[in-house]
Amino acid sequence: MKGKETRMSIDPKAIAEARKEWEERSVAPALKRFKLVENPSRFYTPLDLPDFDFIEKVGFPGQYPFTAGTYAFLPYQAGLKGTGFIPQSPELVRAGRYSGYGAPEDYRDYQIHMQSLGARSGPNIAFDLPTQLGYDSDSPMAEGEVGRAGVAVSTLRDFEVIYEAFTAERDIDRIASNFTINAPANMIIAMYVALAEKRGIPVETLRATPQNDILKEFVGRGAYIFPPGPSMRMMRDSIVFITRRLPSFNITSIGGYHMREAGATREQDLAFSMAIGAAYLHEGVNAGLDIDSFAPRFSFNVFGGSMEFYKEIAFQRAARRMWASLLKERFGAKEPRSLLLRQPLAAHIGCISTTLQRPLNNLIRTVVGGMASAMSGGPPESWPPYDEPLGLGWSLEAIQLAEDAQRILQHEAKLCDVIDPFAGSYFMESLTDEIEEAGWTEFEKIQTMGGVVTAIESGYMQQEVAKSAYERQKRIESGEDLVVGVNCFTGEHELDVRTTRLVPHPYDPEKMELAESKQIANLREVKKTRDNQAVIRLLKDLEVAAKKETENLIPRLIECVTAYATIQEMCDVLRGVFGKYQETNI
Amino acid sequence: MHDKRKIRVLVAKPGLDGHSRGAKVVAYGLRDAGFEVIYTGLHQAPLQIVNTAIQEDVDVVGLSILSGAHLNLTKRVVDGLREKGAGDKMVIVGGTVPQADIAKLKGMGVTEVFTSGASIRQISQFIKGKVGGGPASFEGKGDKDEH
Repeated sequence: MKGKETRMSIDPKAIAEARKEWEERSVAPALKRFKLVENPSRFYTPLDLPDFDFIEKVGFPGQYPFTAGTYAFLPYQAGLKGTGFIPQSPELVRAGRYSGYGAPEDYRDYQIHMQSLGARSGPNIAFDLPTQLGYDSDSPMAEGEVGRAGVAVSTLRDFEVIYEAFTAERDIDRIASNFTINAPANMIIAMYVALAEKRGIPVETLRATPQNDILKEFVGRGAYIFPPGPSMRMMRDSIVFITRRLPSFNITSIGGYHMREAGATREQDLAFSMAIGAAYLHEGVNAGLDIDSFAPRFSFNVFGGSMEFYKEIAFQRAARRMWASLLKERFGAKEPRSLLLRQPLAAHIGCISTTLQRPLNNLIRTVVGGMASAMSGGPPESWPPYDEPLGLGWSLEAIQLAEDAQRILQHEAKLCDVIDPFAGSYFMESLTDEIEEAGWTEFEKIQTMGGVVTAIESGYMQQEVAKSAYERQKRIESGEDLVVGVNCFTGEHELDVRTTRLVPHPYDPEKMELAESKQIANLREVKKTRDNQAVIRLLKDLEVAAKKETENLIPRLIECVTAYATIQEMCDVLRGVFGKYQETNI
Repeated sequence: MHDKRKIRVLVAKPGLDGHSRGAKVVAYGLRDAGFEVIYTGLHQAPLQIVNTAIQEDVDVVGLSILSGAHLNLTKRVVDGLREKGAGDKMVIVGGTVPQADIAKLKGMGVTEVFTSGASIRQISQFIKGKVGGGPASFEGKGDKDEH
């Protein structure tokens, strides 16, 4: 550095001596007074962070190693309105709030209703469980679940109906879509392409993010169909197809969050997500792609999820640094964009931290999460709405409170005025190092086993996560971990504070009840009017192609969906070739 | 303890819901509490669960459902058990069940519903109280000495 030299005046010997004196003169009498053996709080000094190199370990926001942030400043700070659920800067094209229910007609009408209330974004589609598991709405396996956890999509016809809400200035070359779909992700990608082709829209203009993170499904969430090996072949097909044909598409939205919800510890969450990301990157490289041609199209859902404020912040900083280092050092990426860990929010509490008991407390919890997100490089999003654990869907009241919480954090508390406010903190930097190191240790352990696919096939990752979940439960039951209103502070003088859930929700429960019969009729109509001979022929072609490992199946799937082959017909063909995943015993 | 076999519990995941944390934690917990536990794994059709419950000769069927499809799936399991002459097996449900649905489930023949925040201790004491063979310290109101 030229010019005026700045010198950090840190004298380790003097600090050590001062610490000793503090312990004797201030801490010891306090311990005596409170009859304690050990100081219940920790205080950090430069001694906890020896040989700290700011540029190497932190750097500047938006620059390697991205500890301080993915971007130079948060994109929404450029918008006038704010964050999260509310509209952002007009230049940003984003998919809207995660939603989906009923038959496609119901969801289309919901979208039109939301547009009448000012929604401008594309759909962020929740698919029902039968769709996610590759079953049609008329399958015996689907009974009772059609249109419940999301919207039912069995054929391209259903997709066409949903997207009737998106035409003209909201046509699919203008909006972005999100698809929370994993095992049949390539079928849904094929449907979007087919929809564009039918509308005469160049597929290059399509913007979307399929979740398409199948490996975490084996560890958490459980929406898998095929075994891990063939699932990775499907992943390779999406990486190659999207890279070559859909330049504005994200390939995947990787998330450790689901594994965390399933019980993973912080370190497992971090290591498993990085290992899963690395496995997908290897698929692309092994398929002959240049790392910088596709790594920038990897996005992340979310990691983390706990009430431990400091540790969740450190975790986010460690995750950004690990991903950047993984790409740069191990994959040789050169494009700065390849190194970015792009995700919609940073630290958060996770749904698992919300309680059914005294549910309004969840609002307090998510404000803590919103603060952690803002302080770890994300928007101050207070997520999820407080009534998440009630099993009734988010009420509009709860959504309003969540939105207001983040508005208050941004505009009144001004939490977003500083990026990475903990940068350089002796405490935060040493905690970040600690979490990163634990993450790498577990990451290397998985690599030694042969990588994530092997670690999933052997059941290692699933068992470790289940064990961690059980350990947590035991700590809650023994009172070692405290959860307010659940295992402590539950006396009869405590109040269960409630608020109303009176504003009618745009999801119509009656429509949800009727969705199954409506969808079965829809499907019957499609099967009656389509060219069944063509479907049989195309499914046969799909089977032949599936048996040839090197062949990319997505062009075949596009042909199939265009002929209105169903999700289950396509998945059944692939189940026949690939087999079905059988869970390892617990 | 009486000189009889361990209480056998089937922990089952009916339907397509893949959230297995609760089911696995309960399975581990009941195993540690001295029960014989069989876990079905994910994506089980109601009839498969009925058949497994009969084949494994379990005393208790625990259904874990977090997808919102609990009314439909539970009814099919309960009816299936009755149809196959196994209506005496106790069915309990765990998961994300709205308050208003708990009475509906009990009306179908479900003995108890355990929602988020329930402890393994509560579940295990409840089963021991109902099925018998429970420890002397059990405070519940079940018929400990049936059989």
